[in-house]
Amino acid sequence: KKVPAAGFTQGISMEAMSENKMVPSDFSTGPMEKAAKPLPFKDPNFVHSGHGGAVAGKKNRTWKNLKQILASERALPWQLNDPNYFSIDAPPSFKPAKKYSDVSGLLANYTDPQSKLRFSTIEEFSYIRRLPSDVVTGYLALRKATSIVP
Amino acid sequence: GGAGPQVGNALGSLEPLRWMLRSPFDRNVPVNLELQELLLDYSFQHLGVSSQGCVDHPIVLTEAVCNPLYSRQMMSELLFECYGIPKVAYGIDSLFSFYHNKPKNLMSSGLIISSGYQCTHILPILEGRLDAKNCKRINLGGSQAAGYLQRLLQLKYPGHLAAITLSRMEEILHEHSYVAEDYVEELQKWRCPDYYENNVHKMQLPFSNKLLGSTLSSEEKQERRQQQLRRLQELNARRREEKLQLDQERLDRLLYVQELLEDGQMDQFHKALVELNMDSPEELQSYIQKLSSAVEQAKQKILQSEVTLEVDVVDSKPETPDLEQLEPSLEDVESINDFEPLFSEETPEVEKPVTTVQPVFNLAAYHQLFVGTERIRAPEIIFQPSLIGEEQAGIAETLQYILDRYSKDIQDLLVQNVFLTGGNMMYPGMKGRIEKELLEMRPFQSAFKVRLASNPVLDAWYGARDWALDHLDDDEVWITRKEYEEKGGEYLKEHCASNIYVPIRLPKQASRFSDTQAPGKGSGTSGGSAGEQA
Repeated sequence: KKVPAAGFTQGISMEAMSENKMVPSDFSTGPMEKAAKPLPFKDPNFVHSGHGGAVAGKKNRTWKNLKQILASERALPWQLNDPNYFSIDAPPSFKPAKKYSDVSGLLANYTDPQSKLRFSTIEEFSYIRRLPSDVVTGYLALRKATSIVP
Repeated sequence: GGAGPQVGNALGSLEPLRWMLRSPFDRNVPVNLELQELLLDYSFQHLGVSSQGCVDHPIVLTEAVCNPLYSRQMMSELLFECYGIPKVAYGIDSLFSFYHNKPKNLMSSGLIISSGYQCTHILPILEGRLDAKNCKRINLGGSQAAGYLQRLLQLKYPGHLAAITLSRMEEILHEHSYVAEDYVEELQKWRCPDYYENNVHKMQLPFSNKLLGSTLSSEEKQERRQQQLRRLQELNARRREEKLQLDQERLDRLLYVQELLEDGQMDQFHKALVELNMDSPEELQSYIQKLSSAVEQAKQKILQSEVTLEVDVVDSKPETPDLEQLEPSLEDVESINDFEPLFSEETPEVEKPVTTVQPVFNLAAYHQLFVGTERIRAPEIIFQPSLIGEEQAGIAETLQYILDRYSKDIQDLLVQNVFLTGGNMMYPGMKGRIEKELLEMRPFQSAFKVRLASNPVLDAWYGARDWALDHLDDDEVWITRKEYEEKGGEYLKEHCASNIYVPIRLPKQASRFSDTQAPGKGSGTSGGSAGEQA
């Protein structure tokens, strides 16, 4: 089954950004790309098998993300000492984390019981008490300290 | 159809396009091979590849440390089946950088600390070979530092949310940030106002038309309105009382004059009438009546307004429609007369809006971001991931963890050659900080040596180039097409800059040659969910 090398499906979802940034041209739903000629050094019939291709049909259209790939990798028959992507994750810290003021970054000796924000000076305290609630939530979310209210 | 995808540096300014940016990567692993294909198309075109039907060149490609087999399988499939390359070698970027920075033909041991955009690796090298089982990866890099810096500044300057872009954050990280040798000590320095003045960096944002008032949150606006209400009510009450007092005094005087009449002191009465500019006792009487009813009314009004004062403060709607427009000039309490025509007891007229700018408002200063302790806070996350609520250990603790897995002799060997590479290691003060951490964790008076790559960003490429030229004819390092077909896309040939190959076969993915799925224990095929990427 012929599939043009430069054709792509609709609805490729947004990827996380990284060093390799690009902006795709607009997609066409037609079988042949109107403007771009197939590049001479490619096989025009190539289809990615990982994308499901023609066989898997509509269900398999999206690429697996890293989480899904790692989930499948875990199920492979690894030996105890084999290095793999998830076994080299750095371990959690055993040292108690130092507390820093959310506002200024200085060492924080105090926590505001009302908003749970950390502060180091009296001026910071009055600043904190005058903050709107969305900023307070923002600071807490920044260090993953938001609590889930039932 | 357009000009095709725009890639990398050809994009120019990123901010207007940020919502459209795509990448094949999820963290440091390529997962979307269609986007990878576009990148390779672009690269091969721009390199001037002209061979027909295939890319007739051996390829050296970097992959993640302990790259998932599935990812390598897809990459090899793309290279061999789509581009028809003759052979490929996969290597690790920081190992290529290490190769470039060490004396040639020297088998060395060392400890590589590599920090890039998405993650930071600590890689022990023993006799020229990666000791993969003792490697560790911290899932933080330049992108998390930029994101952290962005949130810090956006929370500090909520009025400039949109202007605090990732591009500007990267500029601050590249040009204005540094790593503190001793973080707590450095913070103490920042407490001092003089040090702050000398070291704060002020970023001037482009002018925007938004007025100060419109950037208040809705809560702040409500609070403002209520304050203004209260102020006006107090003002009104005060004026009523003053008027009442004046009227009362006048009434008293008139009553006294009337008493003169009642007492029969006609001469003084007539004299007083003339002073008052009145003609007859009847006129005096009517004045007295008017004035006393006015005084009565005023007293009633004052009583009423005291009762309703509490109620009005809760009501969020302004009493008069002109409240919004008067906002700027309300600060100027001295000119009470300005309020007279609007807040009298008669129906208020609609005045033209008063757009006075506060006299002490500095437009330039309003558009400045003061970057103080943020200069050291953002780069610090790889040392203290707890700053952003991450549980993983930082560089120093992970370094200690890895060293503890070796004998004392090997530890000494490794720390003699600590090598720093990757863009996220380029902060001023990074080398000094790593040295300080080593000093704290190593035995008293033991030796160690830390070096930075000559070009932490590009040495990976230079190293891959050196390595490729040195190994062009070495069949032991290249994966040929034949080997790909026999051993599968996940196959890897090891060399001095490569991962370790764990010989696990993946079943071939559901392919265009339908139904050739090997049933297997570790199935790598998908029941691909329609869940979101990345």
